[in-house]
Amino acid sequence: MPLLDIKNLTLEIDTSFGWVKALDKVNLSVDTKEVRALVGESGSGKSLIVKSIIGALPERWKVTADRMNWKGKDLLSMSDNQRRAITRSEMSVVFQNPLSALDPSATLEEQIAETIPDNLLDKGWFWQRRAQRHSIAVAQLHKVGIRDHELCLKSYPHQLPEDVCQKFTIAMALASNPRLLIADNPTMGMEITTKIQILRLLSKLNKTRELSILFVSHDLLAISAMADSMTVLYCGQSVESGKMTQIRKRPLHPYTKALLDSAPSFRRDLPPKAALHCLEGTIPTLQHLPIGCRLGPRCPRAQKECVKMPDVRRIHDHHYACHFPLHRDKA
Amino acid sequence: MTPLLSVNNLTYCKKHKPWFGKKEIFRLAPVSFELRSGETMAIIGENGSGKSLLAKLLVGVERPTSGSMQLNGEPLESRQRKQRYRAIRMIFQHSKESLNPARPLGSILDETLQLNTTLSESERKQKIAQTLVQVGMLPEHQYFYRHMLSEGQRQRATVARALILNPQVLVADEPFAALDPSVRSQTVNLLMGLQRDLGLGFIFISHNLGIVRHISDRILVLADGNVVESGKTDVIFNWPKSEYTQRLVYAHQALVSR
Repeated sequence: MPLLDIKNLTLEIDTSFGWVKALDKVNLSVDTKEVRALVGESGSGKSLIVKSIIGALPERWKVTADRMNWKGKDLLSMSDNQRRAITRSEMSVVFQNPLSALDPSATLEEQIAETIPDNLLDKGWFWQRRAQRHSIAVAQLHKVGIRDHELCLKSYPHQLPEDVCQKFTIAMALASNPRLLIADNPTMGMEITTKIQILRLLSKLNKTRELSILFVSHDLLAISAMADSMTVLYCGQSVESGKMTQIRKRPLHPYTKALLDSAPSFRRDLPPKAALHCLEGTIPTLQHLPIGCRLGPRCPRAQKECVKMPDVRRIHDHHYACHFPLHRDKA
Repeated sequence: MTPLLSVNNLTYCKKHKPWFGKKEIFRLAPVSFELRSGETMAIIGENGSGKSLLAKLLVGVERPTSGSMQLNGEPLESRQRKQRYRAIRMIFQHSKESLNPARPLGSILDETLQLNTTLSESERKQKIAQTLVQVGMLPEHQYFYRHMLSEGQRQRATVARALILNPQVLVADEPFAALDPSVRSQTVNLLMGLQRDLGLGFIFISHNLGIVRHISDRILVLADGNVVESGKTDVIFNWPKSEYTQRLVYAHQALVSR
């Protein structure tokens, strides 16, 4: 049974142009012990999915889904308290921008102490529990590779460099021993040696503590290094999902292919300084969404049928939504 | 053949003066390199290794403590600022923040021309339209404000601002870091195309070793203000000599080969 199972998640946003579907029938599932990557460009609604999973959206936006289950229980029909209890104890999120996710008016020690749940502490007097909190915090910081823990815990977010803050938010998310870690662009702007360190830490936790990870990013290199399976998102529609190896070997959706081709590291045969393959134009804004398949205007294979939304088709575990997938040429 | 830009023993020292004694904070050790026209050089290194400082020294934002630079064999004097500003142009990392939100694109580009050239108004208009076409935009885009442009177009606009004075060297500080994959490929293609057509020298700073490997001819590796290694891209990636470079390169390969 999958840990998190989402089917046909639709999110409608109230804008001055009327209701706009920011997410349109997104399917996503995270199995236990799985690292699932969620790939998409900025503006494709990755962060909106994260927010709708943890229930941090404004109430006037309409969230509908055929299914949104956490361990078999429906998240959408739960009471707020029940849902909050699950989000507190079993999921944690690393948010995108550490400086805006951390409280600027509190020291980092106060912030990490808040995230350590009481069940990790022994019963004791308050000063004993405070000491335990401190030692747990220090251990977590060492785990993510912050050596100077005293300085870090005493500082306010603005006093530390951004990559240290980024590591700190990861430490904070791991402090409560979650079942599912949702990492929203956790390695953004890190240099490569630190990035490797964080990726190793996450894949180690995935193996030893059986932590499931939803890895949200557009860094394909990091994703291919650690994810088992991948869901590709374009403009609020999930276009392709399946096993990482399968998708890398044989992408079926033109967008996935363009995305993979845009990373020169994946292509050994590419001569240096050759032009990179890319799609024309940029991702449309919410006010100007095309009907049907939203890739339509940029797609090199688009035809008349593309103004209708394609159904999700399936080959084994490999799901894709396209009228003219890439394997048709060979048949 | 004289190199386009040659840098000899460039040093920079930032000193912190407490009341007693003299304490040195950061030092960019002598840096020397040569750049030929049409060549791309990448500067890599960890945070705080002085990469951005070197870029600032090249474009003249900071003054070097000692050392000299030569453009086409002629020394770049610190007094002749205009000459340097015209020949060496910079592209910034965040295209959104580096464009003025209150002025249309045409006026931003016009300002650059007014300050640096003696062209008449009609000539400037013509030049702006021509440059916009060169970077793959329409002449009408000069009436657009920053918020009306998409991310890729903004990046093109900053490239246009750098190109409008017909520079010989472009210096870019992390030009691809904040971009999405498809926009990044578009920008890489644009810059490589411009380099081919105009014979620009291109110096850029990047964390993304995949792109560095793809587009650069030579690499300069910096650590704590010292040049650890420099040489051809192929050589550095296949036979890194110093331990520091090895760490960077192996980290990259560990990601790729999985």
